[in-house]
Amino acid sequence: METTVVGSYPKIPDPPAPGRWRSSVEKHQRGEISAADLRHIEDEVTEEVLREQADAGIDVVTDGQIRWEDGLTYFARGLTGFTIAGLQRYFDTNVYYRQPVATGEVAWRAPITVADYAFAAAKSTRSVKPVVTGPLTLAVMSRDEHYRSLDRFVMALAAALNHEVRALAAAGAALIQVDEPGLLVRRDQWPLFRRAMDVLWDGVGARRALYTYFGHVDGLYPALLDLPVDVIGLDFVAARERNWDVVRRAPFTKKLGLGVLDARNTRMETPEDIAIACRRAAEFVSPASLHVGPSAGLEFLPRRVARKKLDALAAGVRLAKEGVA
Amino acid sequence: MTGVLFPTTTVGSFPKPPYLREARRKAARKQLDPAELRRLERQATEEWVRAQEEIGLDILVDGEMYRGDMVAFFADQMDGFEIAGLVRSYGNRYYPKPAVVGPVGRRGPLTVEWFRFSQALTKRPVKGMLTGPYTIAEWSFNEYYPTRRELVLELARAVHDEAVDLEKAGAQYIQIDEPAIHTRPDEDFDLAVEAMEIVTRGLTAYTVTHVCYGDVPRIYPAMLRLAVNQIDLALKNDDYALLDTFRSPRFTKDIGLGVLDAHSHRAESPEEVTEGIRRTLEVIPAEQIYVSPDCGLKTRTADETVAKLRAMVEGTRRMRKECAS
Repeated sequence: METTVVGSYPKIPDPPAPGRWRSSVEKHQRGEISAADLRHIEDEVTEEVLREQADAGIDVVTDGQIRWEDGLTYFARGLTGFTIAGLQRYFDTNVYYRQPVATGEVAWRAPITVADYAFAAAKSTRSVKPVVTGPLTLAVMSRDEHYRSLDRFVMALAAALNHEVRALAAAGAALIQVDEPGLLVRRDQWPLFRRAMDVLWDGVGARRALYTYFGHVDGLYPALLDLPVDVIGLDFVAARERNWDVVRRAPFTKKLGLGVLDARNTRMETPEDIAIACRRAAEFVSPASLHVGPSAGLEFLPRRVARKKLDALAAGVRLAKEGVA
Repeated sequence: MTGVLFPTTTVGSFPKPPYLREARRKAARKQLDPAELRRLERQATEEWVRAQEEIGLDILVDGEMYRGDMVAFFADQMDGFEIAGLVRSYGNRYYPKPAVVGPVGRRGPLTVEWFRFSQALTKRPVKGMLTGPYTIAEWSFNEYYPTRRELVLELARAVHDEAVDLEKAGAQYIQIDEPAIHTRPDEDFDLAVEAMEIVTRGLTAYTVTHVCYGDVPRIYPAMLRLAVNQIDLALKNDDYALLDTFRSPRFTKDIGLGVLDAHSHRAESPEEVTEGIRRTLEVIPAEQIYVSPDCGLKTRTADETVAKLRAMVEGTRRMRKECAS
């Protein structure tokens, strides 16, 4: 049983500590500091976030996605074929992203996340898991003015992102996570998603994790178990009891990303809450196959709350391991 | 009610002048007497009231010089809330996100004093400006109520009481901002409609709701069920793409037609405004059209705000002439 996170982490500390990243972006926009200066600040914040996760006792960490404006534009800007348009709501959150617009053939031209991964891996005392936004999510959150076909758009993205995932594996990532919350708002696209996953993971020599969040997988399970991945991450908070019911319908043959720490509410879990959830999961997955973490990225929370939740998570998993709970 | 065709108005917020931003920073560090801050807020409010008169707007706002965030302003003054911390909404924009930690309710009037102050400065009508119950609930962490529904309806009763107090103080126009209303269109739209019925029940004032971003077509035509006279929407930032949606079924409310992109630095030209109204007239009858920016202008500079509003008023005047001839 190990502890992990899903991806993002709050970029700025709680006041009165100065939000250096925030003010640096402003200074960069005003032309007062260079892009290299801003990158340097982002390096420092990334190191700080890696340390916070390690101090909390998280086993497999991420770089906190400090450099991501959001999970959509970060990839759309790195691929060819996209322009970036106006603000759109990110799923059912109060977070907005600038909507990518596909205006031409989508293609991979150079690594997008590899340098970030290499930096984090070099600085972290814990194992670092790179995260890539999946092809279906990128497609459904974007506007397609080129393919005029979701099928062709998604498959083109899958082929492009396959280069990225392979490049991450080549850079030494032992475990790579692909995020597909978009699947839960487009369940009708399962056959397309299934094909896209084959293309996306083709020839990737690393352990593979697929994470969904913001909803349940009723109607997609046990089909999800056929995917060419090792870990399936599920949100056990957003849909309340639904995912707990769904995963009992067939033997869970993968490792389970157990998203039980509420990443979208400041209400604080106790270590006991987490331990109880772990024991509950251990009824259908072997404890060794549990990757226990938050329900989604932690950037929906203030920094102080995110940090406290990670403490509760790690303490809860320790309790569960000790069998004390 | 204003007696002119295409009455012009704004969505609510204007940029705070540098002296007020500085004063707010000092006040936050307790280096400025609250009475002095209040004096500067009044000064800035009066400046914006004069500016709106001079620009030639028909229905004025107080500009929200005394508000930080549209939800926190209400949460700060109500029972049941505390501020959990800063959360990023997009780019490097952060907002102080409240948490509901107990039963919510109004201790007393929230906006009436500012309404009275600004209305006393001008003969033109000033809009009462409220944040709607669905948005207050959605943009807060709910640590207390078992369901979102209970929280939303309790807030609706509080916002209703505030609207009644505004009306008693002489408000002829009351706007209830619901930018979060389409966060969960399938799951929650009926709840949002029910909440708005509670808010506006028995009012004689002309009521407006402002909705921005997100997937407006998803809540059309359902949004025509909202118990308000006018729905104010962002048309310009998507180049009036929403007009296609409003062709059928017919847009039966008045529309607050957003003709200025609130998140671009460029001032629109009067021609662009005229053209936007002209395109709208193909879909919505003239007497149902109010003209406004897409959203609150607080993120623009004062110069950008004034330039944009002048173009809006001038473009609207030209369209009035065109319609009269």
